Amino acid sequence: MELMAVPLQLDLHLAVRAFELLLGLSLVLQCIEYLRIPALDRVNDWAILRQEIPTHPPGVRALLDLLLSPRTYRVLMVLRLALAVGLMSGGLGLAGAAMLFAIALVLLLRWRGAFNGGSDFMTLVGLTGLLIAHLVGHAMGMDWGWRAGFWYITLHALTSYFMSGWVKLLHPSWRSGRALPLFLDTGIYGPLPQHSAYRHPALARAISWTFTVWEGLFPLALLDVRLAALFCTVASVFHFLVFRFFGLNRFFWAWLTTYPAILWCAGRLPL
Amino acid sequence: MNTFAQITLALVGVYFVWLAFFGLRRHRQLVQGPWLFFFRAFFPNWKFYHAAGGAPRLYVRAQGADGVWGDWQRVYARIAHRAHHLLHNPVVNLALNHQNLVDHLWSDVQDLPDGADIRERVTYQLVTRLAHEAVRGGRWGEVPMLPAAMPEAAHFQFALRMDDLFEQDRVPASSELVLQSPVLPTWN
Repeated sequence: MELMAVPLQLDLHLAVRAFELLLGLSLVLQCIEYLRIPALDRVNDWAILRQEIPTHPPGVRALLDLLLSPRTYRVLMVLRLALAVGLMSGGLGLAGAAMLFAIALVLLLRWRGAFNGGSDFMTLVGLTGLLIAHLVGHAMGMDWGWRAGFWYITLHALTSYFMSGWVKLLHPSWRSGRALPLFLDTGIYGPLPQHSAYRHPALARAISWTFTVWEGLFPLALLDVRLAALFCTVASVFHFLVFRFFGLNRFFWAWLTTYPAILWCAGRLPL
Repeated sequence: MNTFAQITLALVGVYFVWLAFFGLRRHRQLVQGPWLFFFRAFFPNWKFYHAAGGAPRLYVRAQGADGVWGDWQRVYARIAHRAHHLLHNPVVNLALNHQNLVDHLWSDVQDLPDGADIRERVTYQLVTRLAHEAVRGGRWGEVPMLPAAMPEAAHFQFALRMDDLFEQDRVPASSELVLQSPVLPTWN
């Protein structure tokens, strides 16, 4: 009976390794895409984009002109790729985490705050958590560092689901299920076939309620690691479906990166 | 439960209660300022696909060498799904980035101060390039941006419309003109 009362907890070192592997993989995939994109894109011209960079503090535009010239940009992406591999190997320290964070800031400036919206935001959450872990770890030991980093990542990840779910539930079109086929029709791999099951109002309503309530209740994952595992498993399916319809592969990997942190934090607050 | 866990639990609880009462409200331009715009990733609102009303869409038309204008065509990516896109998907991500530019142009039009010129905005200039690229036969990977491009066009024009998401036979139920560019020369 005493064993039953002990809450399940994910081992910190296991969680750290899983986080490093997933964040590293997510960054590797992004870097390979970033290296390919300049050859495909004739729209996002830096000569135009740079006009938006504030002139104060002086020298920032000139520094970015240097960093974002085609050749240096490639070097930066290769460096990021190497750092991501280092992260996956478990050998990345404070300096590496700081460099990954700094490159992320340069990318935000290159792409008007985000290349790919939410996935860039969540990637930054992961990188900020990594930097927090190493900064706090440098001062207080890595166990404390990872605790701080994981709580930062977990709160952001839970907030993302909570907000996304409840904001939808406040809209009548989501509560009725009408919004689901409308958005699926806009998907880059879409539109839905004329007789798709998702167009059936009852099914669309059921799916909408299921996913939005599940998202809104995601903070409950903190109560138990088994509950967290269930929430994260459903979340993986959810993000895969989002990829399947909208092409958002980066979202899939960026959110997957946060699950080791959520699983570690879950069960630390036993009721 | 120890004191540390109790305090953490209380803080997490207060945070989500605060989110429910404050974070879910509509905030217009909560994050402002040029640097904050670039670093808004630090303050994400996490509101995805929440309002199923209309969406900004880009339309272009081109004038052939004979002086005749072609039809308006919508620039909106439709790309075939491939399983390997889960690992490597630059073309789709670039197409999504281009649509984001269109969304941001719409946002800039809404927020344009009196007397300001939208043509000076970076979004306008980038969307002009996107429209030009589409007219001249640009592609997202193997997928043409337009069903019928006019690579030899001498002039082009683009329009930003707010289209109803509900469509009948690929035609939006309603479509409101937000902005129409002047006639622009093509370039090489």
